[in-house]
Amino acid sequence: MKRRVASISALAGYCILVVAPLYLALDRLVWVAGFDPYSWINSLNENYITQGVIGFTFLQATLSTLFTLIIGIPIAWQLGRHKWPLQSFVKSILTMPFVMPSIVAAMGFLHIIGPAGLNIRVDESTWFTTLIIAHAWFNMALVIRFCEPVLSTLDPNLEQQMRLLPAGRTKFGRFRNLWAPLLMPSIAAAACMTFIFSFTSFALVKWITLGDNTLESVMASVGSSAGIKDYMISRNEIILGASLIQFTILLAALWIMSWLQQRRQSLLPQASEATVKSSNKKGWLIIGPGLLFALSPLIAVLWASFRVRHTDSTGTTYAWETSGWEFAFAGTNSLPSGWDALANSLGYAGLTLIIALPLGWVLAQTILDVEKQRPRLARLLDILTMLPFAASSVMIGLGVMLGMIRIDAEFFYSFWATPVFAHIMITTPFVVRIMLPALRSISPEYDECARTLGMVAWRRFFFIKLPLLWGSILIAGIFTLAMSLGEFGASWVVTRNSDWTTLPIMIDSLRSIPYNTTYTAPAACAISSVLMIITLFLFTWAEKFRPARDGGMF
Amino acid sequence: MKKTALFLGIIILNLSISGCLSEEIDDNTVESPEQYEWVDDGELVIVTYDVYGLTDEMISQFENESGYEVSMLKLDDAGSVLDHLLQHKGLQIADLAIGLDNTYLQTAIDNNVFWEHTAVLNNISESALMPYDGPFAAPFDQGYMCLNYDTSVVDGENYTIPESLWDLTNEEWKGKVAIPSPETSSPGRAFMTATTDYFSHDDDNQTDWTDWWTAMSANEVIITTGWSEAYETHYTGGYGEWTDGYVGDAHVVVSYCHSPGVESWYNENWTKSAALDLPRAAFHQVEYASAIEGGNLGAASAFIEYLLSPEVNSKMPIENSMYSVLEGVDLPEENGYRYHSIIPQQTAMVNSTTIANSMETWLEQWNTAMVDA
Repeated sequence: MKRRVASISALAGYCILVVAPLYLALDRLVWVAGFDPYSWINSLNENYITQGVIGFTFLQATLSTLFTLIIGIPIAWQLGRHKWPLQSFVKSILTMPFVMPSIVAAMGFLHIIGPAGLNIRVDESTWFTTLIIAHAWFNMALVIRFCEPVLSTLDPNLEQQMRLLPAGRTKFGRFRNLWAPLLMPSIAAAACMTFIFSFTSFALVKWITLGDNTLESVMASVGSSAGIKDYMISRNEIILGASLIQFTILLAALWIMSWLQQRRQSLLPQASEATVKSSNKKGWLIIGPGLLFALSPLIAVLWASFRVRHTDSTGTTYAWETSGWEFAFAGTNSLPSGWDALANSLGYAGLTLIIALPLGWVLAQTILDVEKQRPRLARLLDILTMLPFAASSVMIGLGVMLGMIRIDAEFFYSFWATPVFAHIMITTPFVVRIMLPALRSISPEYDECARTLGMVAWRRFFFIKLPLLWGSILIAGIFTLAMSLGEFGASWVVTRNSDWTTLPIMIDSLRSIPYNTTYTAPAACAISSVLMIITLFLFTWAEKFRPARDGGMF
Repeated sequence: MKKTALFLGIIILNLSISGCLSEEIDDNTVESPEQYEWVDDGELVIVTYDVYGLTDEMISQFENESGYEVSMLKLDDAGSVLDHLLQHKGLQIADLAIGLDNTYLQTAIDNNVFWEHTAVLNNISESALMPYDGPFAAPFDQGYMCLNYDTSVVDGENYTIPESLWDLTNEEWKGKVAIPSPETSSPGRAFMTATTDYFSHDDDNQTDWTDWWTAMSANEVIITTGWSEAYETHYTGGYGEWTDGYVGDAHVVVSYCHSPGVESWYNENWTKSAALDLPRAAFHQVEYASAIEGGNLGAASAFIEYLLSPEVNSKMPIENSMYSVLEGVDLPEENGYRYHSIIPQQTAMVNSTTIANSMETWLEQWNTAMVDA
């Protein structure tokens, strides 16, 4: 009974947080633009700023997904089947890009392709390739996280047996008949998620492929004037059209993903990592470049934070200085100091953790409870929890703003914790994705056994369930912290009406000062470096607690 | 089954709650000043975009002198300020709006989002009061939008210096001109407004401003989301070449006529950028501060007075990279600031009412013109 109350309140809370704003936004946009889906979608072709946006979004998302798999699968294989020194550190470096704020990634890549690096930025034909590579950098963690656990724990006997069979005599045969079917659900799930994240890419597209937009970035550029009666009606149509397409495509991707994950529950013979993994010197040919790829944009950012420009009539020189760092943390003129931003970011992350972790956990438990009797309802709930991935931040932003206006705008706009709402929306789906496989992997026999021995409910929870879940809880917690610290898009849209600076928002403000002084660029890189170091620390630490085969998403 | 029903119930409940929330705001009456009713809560909430003239020092000085506690909502740009005012009409979120320019102001006034301020203004220059001289807004800075060009490339040899806007539709300028989109940027809006005037006064009666935009679109003009992308990422003549993501494919850009002066100011009296003085292709932009309807009128007016005091407003060129609105205050001579800043001979003459009434139509026509190419 208690469990049902918890489930229902978690669901209700989540609906109010995620579904209500979406409904409010949709309702308001339709009220302004009229209900005519045909003209909404048509408006995308009729407007100069949205021409070609559908084609571009699909093309880049598809190619990004393919390229991510090409890079990610070999790395996941090496990590999963072979031993590496400093294993957890290596893994956290390779998977860290995923939680980096996209603005940091964009800056890193722009440095690499800029005059101080490869100097290919001037050639417009390189932009698209750069974007695809940047998306692969971002999302290769998904492939690694999905595939590596399957690889690292599969009983080697299975492969030995395969070798004896005619179909498994050649490498290709074993790939076709053993590895491919085994890995396919994981690969497909990773591909779905990569597609979703590339499809909704915003900052990387905005900075790298100038003049080309995704549906998400085009909505962001016209979003602020949406929902006002008799004003800029075409913009409401653009947002409705873009949202309609985006939502349909992403919902389909999420459905496939959820279906694949449920299928993936079939248990395979497992062995400990020690027996599975062998050493492989040649593997450095893959892991080495992989590490370099993962680190280079981040190193570029750190490097740039110490390079300060001096320009006068005699020309331009660059010097090694710490003045960018001093500028970032001094808090001059109209900018808050880096310390304020850091304090806010940490505060929001902590608060997000306290709310999103239990909320996500209860939602995951609810899905699991429903799964046995009503698999369809379970899938519906599963997709519901992933809704924030499919919804555009403009829709959420508009909806939240309308919600705040109706409840008490003055209160929300001056309330320090308002950005936390956005962070909960973004992080809860990740908590669900981490906790769900962990909960699934607990055999009900433990609980039954304890029950027979006369343990009461709270003791069963504290002495059996909690220790079994501890690793996943920590991972979910650390992930929530990292995502919240790096979150930019949603808080930017949701909190554009308030004045609380976080680290990612400060990076953006530093970058947008016109006629920048020589310190703004290194200062933005300095703040990015702080964010990077905190994240790297959190992730390396998290690796220690990762369960042997969590099979989860991250 | 029960769970399904409950779940659906929750959703339906949500929908019905939110459904009744979206009623229309249709209060279109404005009271006269003596009828205004407002409460002085000792706070001043300013809604603005990143107007860099509003420094911390300046705000704290105002707080100390007046006793008001100031907080700010910072939005992206002038357009977002107007959007915010329209979205939040009648909700009394903020007391003072800073940063609407003369391409947005009249729309805001027509929508009755302002009250008449009570600030006493002295020594405001005639030019600053030209676009709007009424009680709903006080000018606090100004400038002129111009085409800027890179003198190191556009030197009369490699590229000819354009003598009319039509010159930019020549093959030589293919893909070399960057203009912020009037759809998403206020400098873009200002420049588009100037073109409507420019082409209604040229010798050619066969073509109008939309034909020029169509020709520019065919000539691969670079349209950007905002000013910074045009100036920093595409323009070769400015500080953009030292920023990340710099491309440098445009030698002509829409910016301020005094942008070369600002460049020179930051680079110790050196710039390779210059403004192009084409009659009626420049737009006189004035930015305003206005008291928001239902807000703390006393605090808003006090801040307007403070913003227009000689001590604060004369710092506009340094703190905000814009001209002061005070009579007799010019750009500083230091580092070639004033020397490199031109004042256009003849700006486009389009009054605020025309702008407010025509803007949406112009934007539609602009869109069609660009798509037609």
